Amino acid sequence: MSTTLRPYLDAVRATITAAVCLENFSSQHVERHNKPEVETKGSKEVLLQPVVISRNAQERVLVEASINAVRISIGIKQADEIEKILCKKFMSFIMMRAENFFILRRKPVEGYDISFLITNFHTEQMFKHKLVDFIITFMENVDVEISEMKITTNARARICAEEYLKAFH
Amino acid sequence: MILLEFQNRIIKEALLARVGVDKPDSIDLTVADFDGVTFHISSTGENKSVVQVSISIRCFAELQAHGADEYLKKVYGSNVAPTENGYSFTIALDFDKLPANKDEVINDFALLKRHCLAAPIGKYFDLCDKGGAGGDKTAVISYREDEKIYLNAEKDRVTVVFSVRFRDADDVVLGKVFLAEFVDARKRLNQAPQVLFSKEPPREIAGAGASVADNMSYVTFVLFTRHVKGAERENSISLVQTFRDYLHYHIKCSKAYLHSRMRARVTSLLKILNRARPEPVVVERKTATGKTFAKK
Amino acid sequence: MSEPHHLLSEPISCHAWNKDRSQLAFSPNNHEIHIYKKEGNTWVKSQVLTGHDQRVTSLDWAANTNRIVSCGADRNAYVWTITDNEWKPSLVILRINRAATFVRWSPKEDKFAVASGARLISICYFEAEHDWWVSKHIKKPIRSTVLTLDWHPNNVLLAAGSSDFKTRIFFAGIKGVDEKPQPTPWGGKNAFGDCVRELSHGPGGWVHSVAFSPSGNRLAWVSHNSSISVVEAGDATEPKTVTFSTLPYVTLLWASENSIITAGFEYYPALWDVSSGTPKFVNKLDHAVKKAAVEGNAMSKFRNLDTRATEGEETALDTVHQNPITQLSLFAGTKDRVTKFTTTGSDGRLVNWDVKALESAISGLKFA
Repeated sequence: MSTTLRPYLDAVRATITAAVCLENFSSQHVERHNKPEVETKGSKEVLLQPVVISRNAQERVLVEASINAVRISIGIKQADEIEKILCKKFMSFIMMRAENFFILRRKPVEGYDISFLITNFHTEQMFKHKLVDFIITFMENVDVEISEMKITTNARARICAEEYLKAFH
Repeated sequence: MILLEFQNRIIKEALLARVGVDKPDSIDLTVADFDGVTFHISSTGENKSVVQVSISIRCFAELQAHGADEYLKKVYGSNVAPTENGYSFTIALDFDKLPANKDEVINDFALLKRHCLAAPIGKYFDLCDKGGAGGDKTAVISYREDEKIYLNAEKDRVTVVFSVRFRDADDVVLGKVFLAEFVDARKRLNQAPQVLFSKEPPREIAGAGASVADNMSYVTFVLFTRHVKGAERENSISLVQTFRDYLHYHIKCSKAYLHSRMRARVTSLLKILNRARPEPVVVERKTATGKTFAKK
Repeated sequence: MSEPHHLLSEPISCHAWNKDRSQLAFSPNNHEIHIYKKEGNTWVKSQVLTGHDQRVTSLDWAANTNRIVSCGADRNAYVWTITDNEWKPSLVILRINRAATFVRWSPKEDKFAVASGARLISICYFEAEHDWWVSKHIKKPIRSTVLTLDWHPNNVLLAAGSSDFKTRIFFAGIKGVDEKPQPTPWGGKNAFGDCVRELSHGPGGWVHSVAFSPSGNRLAWVSHNSSISVVEAGDATEPKTVTFSTLPYVTLLWASENSIITAGFEYYPALWDVSSGTPKFVNKLDHAVKKAAVEGNAMSKFRNLDTRATEGEETALDTVHQNPITQLSLFAGTKDRVTKFTTTGSDGRLVNWDVKALESAISGLKFA
């Protein structure tokens, strides 16, 4: 693991842990409704200052907290064209399964590759520390998966090319 | 199976199934192949012993211009049949009068598409042998709607250029990865034809009207005399004409593989998320008769 | 030191005790109110009160008149009275158009205050003439949802914490209900709805919980910017606010005139000493013990492997509560000498804490 990854993930973990302190909060604007305030942005006083943690220009996490929901958006490393499409494919693959992931947002926040929305209903049903663990594991896994997918694609291309050209004598 | 077969397996199996059958059923099969090619396999005659195979190939007129008729007649000889309506070329085989080399004949039937395309390629191989076709004599074969094969011959080489167009933006990138590996692999394999890969149409086919577009790339194979002469000639023809299909086949396989990897990763991520769910406090279990028992 | 009861898998959003602590009312984070009774060493569900049609946000059980007041996200409040072992609700006309968030009986139990998302507080009292509960509103200068309330022992002053980052003390005495009150060190005019003091704990931070000290001469509150504040009645200067590095508290309880118990997003209660007027952190009250791994049976082992890709139950934390604590309340002792207190949490646990046992278990711990 590179020397800058650990502090980056530690900072993300600490920030999310602090941000995911949520309570049930009924809408001040619509009667008998309960909406994630970070999404509706109807009441300024129940929103917290958004925080960006960046490791570099691409790899960064935006944490937007509010009284009853936190939105976490992740920018993923994409060093070249192939990583870019692998990332895009992988993220859209995951987002298509948003309902299985409960806390996944169907669309990323602009400028980021994937977003999570954790509401007080999630923290009431699940262990908060495990949710935080999940986000961190997710970030680690995605990076690993994308680089492994790239390596195997390149390896396959190389073998294909060699076998084809070897057939000429 | 990394390399693609040159023949059409369905034709081969359909024909082999009728060898030595006394009263064969009638057959009427339409088979699709790469590059929009379709085959029609049907039985004619009273006792259904004659089976004809027709091919529909979009660039047949261009192929004919490069001597496809003559070439196919040479290959299939007496098996050439009157062309079926709506198709480009038809061959037929009477199973009551099978020749001694029936396996070879059936194999040639399955290679119908290969032989169609072999005509122009073979012609340029011959031209190379005879000292080249000259700068302006480039053959263009529009084997697909928006993709073409360009052929050119000089006295020491034959240049085969494929225009490759990817419809999908992701395929463009994956395609580039593959094509770059072809160029790279050539550096390690001296006996192989030279491979070049560019966005612009190469110099050899200048004047042949090749277009430039965002998702269009050109792959050039430079075949040397060793590939176009003697024993290697037929093998080279077969390989060259499967290039595009081979490339796309493997791009698709890669995508399928990536998909299965992503699926596995998503499953494992979901398991990690599941750890956040608490176990229910009271586990109520019922017996088959509907009695409940509490866990103490 | 602590006596945990794992009642539910759902969170317990609020709870209240009856006078002799033999019954407990709480809401399992939905529209119901559950009444539990103690049987031997365990708590058993005895009744379920349904009246609200949305989540119950707060509960209070009047000790002497034995009435329960509840309020909910459905904008309603009910006063529940018991006759022949049966709890009967009567609807209170709150005249609010947003969720009710918090409710507390006044010390004399003749009034109660309901906080709401309509940026106002309803003070409700019984009108015998019409045989129903009516309400008067305190509106100014509240600018956001009121999240918490606490009555002064004199029955007329009311402290309110709000998501506009302010804590305020209002005069909530009602003509015809309250006698003319004795003056308090808090001062202020004596007209209904007057804001006696407006207090700030610095920039940002919703006020989660507010409480008068047993004498009523001090006011403490905790807010979302991880701070705890205390102000003395006679002191017109800024409140004494201490910010800390752990996650914010959401609830507080005066254990005596000089000590405060807090709890919230860190899953343990903590003790603060306020003898000097400025809060000073004393200790965590959850003496974290490394839990022995629960010996799972073969079935749970394989089920865990299948659904969580892990063998054992390694989700458990060292604290008694496994998710945020939602409420603290006095269980035994008096307001100025608490001997036992309870916490409920989002993890569905009810924990009973014994002050004496805590003092002997945690070295150096002393309740002031």
